Amino acid sequence: MASIPAPAPEAAPAQPSGTKIGPVVIAFAVGTVVSIALGVYGRLHTPTGYAVNISGFSTGPAAKAFLATIVIILAIVQTVTAMGIYGRIPLHGAWVNPVHRWSGRLAVLISVPVAVHCLYALGFQAYDGRVIAHSIFGCFLYGAFVFKMLILTRDDAPGWALPLAGGLVLTGLTALWITAVAYFFFV
Amino acid sequence: MKHRSPLITLVAVALAFAIMFTVNMLASPPGNSSAEPPSPPAPPATTAANSTSPSPAGPPAASPSPTASKSAEDSKFPQKVVYAGRAEEGAGAIAVAVLGTKSAAYFCDGRSVEAWYRGPVAGADISLKSKKGAILQASLDSDHVKGWLRVKNERIRFEIDEAKKPAGLYRARGSKTTIGWIVLEDGSEVGVQRTGEDSAPAPKLNPDSPQVTVNGEQLDAAPVTGDEDL
Repeated sequence: MASIPAPAPEAAPAQPSGTKIGPVVIAFAVGTVVSIALGVYGRLHTPTGYAVNISGFSTGPAAKAFLATIVIILAIVQTVTAMGIYGRIPLHGAWVNPVHRWSGRLAVLISVPVAVHCLYALGFQAYDGRVIAHSIFGCFLYGAFVFKMLILTRDDAPGWALPLAGGLVLTGLTALWITAVAYFFFV
Repeated sequence: MKHRSPLITLVAVALAFAIMFTVNMLASPPGNSSAEPPSPPAPPATTAANSTSPSPAGPPAASPSPTASKSAEDSKFPQKVVYAGRAEEGAGAIAVAVLGTKSAAYFCDGRSVEAWYRGPVAGADISLKSKKGAILQASLDSDHVKGWLRVKNERIRFEIDEAKKPAGLYRARGSKTTIGWIVLEDGSEVGVQRTGEDSAPAPKLNPDSPQVTVNGEQLDAAPVTGDEDL
C-alpha cells in the first residue's frame, strides 16, 4: 500500500486547552455504526461456508491463525511504540512515530482477509459462548479502528481520546485472538 | 487542524475489504476452496419453490467451512458404518450412514422438521448437502462423529456414536410419501413422514418387520446405508 502518504499525525501526549468533546462523540458514533453494521451483515448474510483460500497453508483456519498472530505481534509493536510516544517508556528517535504508523497500517491490512473470511464464510454465530464473544469482538474491533482513525484526524480532541481508542482496538484484537487462535492451537 | 492520512488509511482499509469481498463473491464455489473435499454439484433450483414447507430452508451454499478437527486427521471412516444419536440441545436426532466414499445423513425433530443430506467421504471428513443446499459437515473423532448441520437456517451441532442394528437409519418411500426414521441405541425412534408439503410425526416402525401403512398404502422401510440416491 505504497499509496498511503507517510506524513501522519503526531500523537502528542497532552493537548492544550481548547479541546473539544464533540468530534470524539461523533467519531465514537461512527465507529458504533460500523460495528453494528458489521454485526447485522454477519447475522443476515447467509454464511457460504467457504471463502477463497490463502495458498500455502494446510487449511483455511491455519492461514487465519497465522495471519491473526502476525497482527497480534504488530499490535504489541503498536503498544510499545505508543508508550514511547507518550513518554511512558524511554523510547526516543525519529523512527518511533513512523514505526507506530506503519505497523498499524500493516496490522489492519493483514487483518482484512481474516475478517472477510469470518464474515463471508462463517457469519455472526452464537452457538456457544466463545463464538458469541468472538463474533461480538470482531464487529467491535473494526468499529474501534474507525473510531481511532477519526480521532487521529483531530488535534483538538481531548488527550485521553486517542489512548482510549487505541486501547479499545488492542482489547478487541486480544479478545479475538484468544477466542479463536489460542482456541485453535491449544484447545 | 485536521490530518488527512488516517482518513486515507481508513479508505484504504475499506477498499481492501471491498476487494476481498469481491474476490470471494467472484470465486466459483467448488473450484477455489482448494483444501476442501469435493462436494456434489448444487441441485437445480426447482426444489426451492416449496419454501414454505418445513424442510431445510438452508442456503444454496458451496463447499463447507473449514471447521478443523485436529484429532481426526489420521483416522478414516470404516467401509460401512452408521452413526446415530440426538443432536445437541434437544433439537432432534441425527443419523449418518457411510458406505465407501459415499455418505447419507438424516436429521429430524420427530414432529415436522426434517432434512436428508448426501455427499462424499474424504478420509475422516464428510461434507454433505441437502437438496436445498443446506450443509452438514462432520468429522470422525476416534469412534464418534462430531459436526454440525444447517436446517431451516438453524445451525445444529451433534456428536453421535456408532449405531448397531437394529439402531440406525431407515427410510420408506411411497408414491407420494417419504418417511425417515432414526432408531437409537436405546430403541427409541425419531421420525418424520412427509407427503408433498405436509409433514408429520412418522408412524411406529418395527425394525424387525419394517412395514408401515400410510394413507392406505403399504410401504417397505429399508435401512439406509449411504450410497442411496435420496
